[in-house]
Amino acid sequence: MYWGFVAAGYLLVIGVLSGYAAWIIARGRALSRDVPEEKRRFLD
Amino acid sequence: MIDNRNVSTATLSTASKATRIIGWSALAVSGLALLFGLVISGPEVNMRDSVRLLYIHVPSVLMAYVCFGITLVGSVMYLRKQSAFWDLAAASAAEVGVVFLGLVLATGALWGKPTWGTYWEWDPRLTSTAVMFIMYVGYLAIRRMDFSPEVRSRRAAVVGIISILNVIIVHYSVQWWRGLHQGQTFGLDPQIRDMQYFAWFLGTVALALVGSWLLIHRFRVAWLERQVEESQLVRALAERRREAGE
Amino acid sequence: MTELDLTPLPPESERTGIRSWRNWLIGGALIAVALVLIYQALTTARVYFLNVDEAVDRRVELADDTFNLQGTVTTEPSTAADGTITFTMSFGGSDAEVLHVGNAPSGLFKLGEQVVAEGRWQGDEFVSDRLLVKHSEEYVEDNPNRVDYELDGSEADIGAPPVTPVPGY
Repeated sequence: MYWGFVAAGYLLVIGVLSGYAAWIIARGRALSRDVPEEKRRFLD
Repeated sequence: MIDNRNVSTATLSTASKATRIIGWSALAVSGLALLFGLVISGPEVNMRDSVRLLYIHVPSVLMAYVCFGITLVGSVMYLRKQSAFWDLAAASAAEVGVVFLGLVLATGALWGKPTWGTYWEWDPRLTSTAVMFIMYVGYLAIRRMDFSPEVRSRRAAVVGIISILNVIIVHYSVQWWRGLHQGQTFGLDPQIRDMQYFAWFLGTVALALVGSWLLIHRFRVAWLERQVEESQLVRALAERRREAGE
Repeated sequence: MTELDLTPLPPESERTGIRSWRNWLIGGALIAVALVLIYQALTTARVYFLNVDEAVDRRVELADDTFNLQGTVTTEPSTAADGTITFTMSFGGSDAEVLHVGNAPSGLFKLGEQVVAEGRWQGDEFVSDRLLVKHSEEYVEDNPNRVDYELDGSEADIGAPPVTPVPGY
């Protein structure tokens, strides 16, 4: 009984954080295509 | 318009040597946290194996608190210095914090059902956490609203400062009011020990590393979003000038 | 900048109109949810439960109001054939006889646990239709080799914890 809730919780955390990380990577790469290389990092 | 379609993905990545070290460390410690949290540590005498949910639930709320703290600092600094760095740091931290807080609510519900007998209860800790979640979602909504960039950042900064009150209310809600939620377990005088404490500690380190990785990358993505937004603005201005000249 | 202000902007105006409408919709929805949460915070969450001694003292005043009653299960719960559960809840030196007719409580419900029962007084009995288990902040690993369950230097504070796994798990 308890393991079902435990598994759901761990899978949810792993899934959400992995998905969010993947989205960040993909969005970063997509945006980088439209930004000159010298402006891709915060340097001020 | 910059065309980098033929550039390799490594060149376009928001990663750096530091984030790669953090990322691999996060994966390694997460593996250990799973091993200790799910296999090596034992069940609790009453709540049995559902205690294992607390090794991710509590670290998630700690990460959310840290993120909202960064949002507070970023918001204050933005209002003082009008700097893009602090504005974007505040915004990035708020988004990562909302993700962690969403996980707190979800894992808390999954723990509550087998322990309390309910997924949700309108007790002070849960209600104040829901209010905090909505306020930071509101902060993110303001950042997507159609104000001028300066107005948007200023309004978001004000909400980012006010919302920190929620963190204090949520944290002390179990002391200030009566509720179903238990008091503080993982404070200076922890009410848990040995292998269970170590499992929680590993979970905290793992999520701290994951959170750091997310924060840095999200900040870099926010910076890129700003660059694209500014280049679009420049392009739009150029078009207007051309139209006005015609 | 002055020359830009003179430029006609019909498409931009339309776009702003749609966005403005969307801003109001999102803002309104968030405010509505926040109001519901604040209402809950000021009503249910503010005084989430009454302890048994308070509820006993205020029995006349409470009449048939529904509220949450908090205490420790001090008699072995007895389940009847129709599924109703009877037990005694105690707190602050007062006792309440509870007849629970609602949801099945969690697996942690047993003698010695702190519980919150939602219901109302009916005569001398508290009739509940919702029963929740209130877990303490102290967690003890189920370790058969453990001889010392003391967590905070005061064994009496946590009573005598079980040294064997709870039957049924």
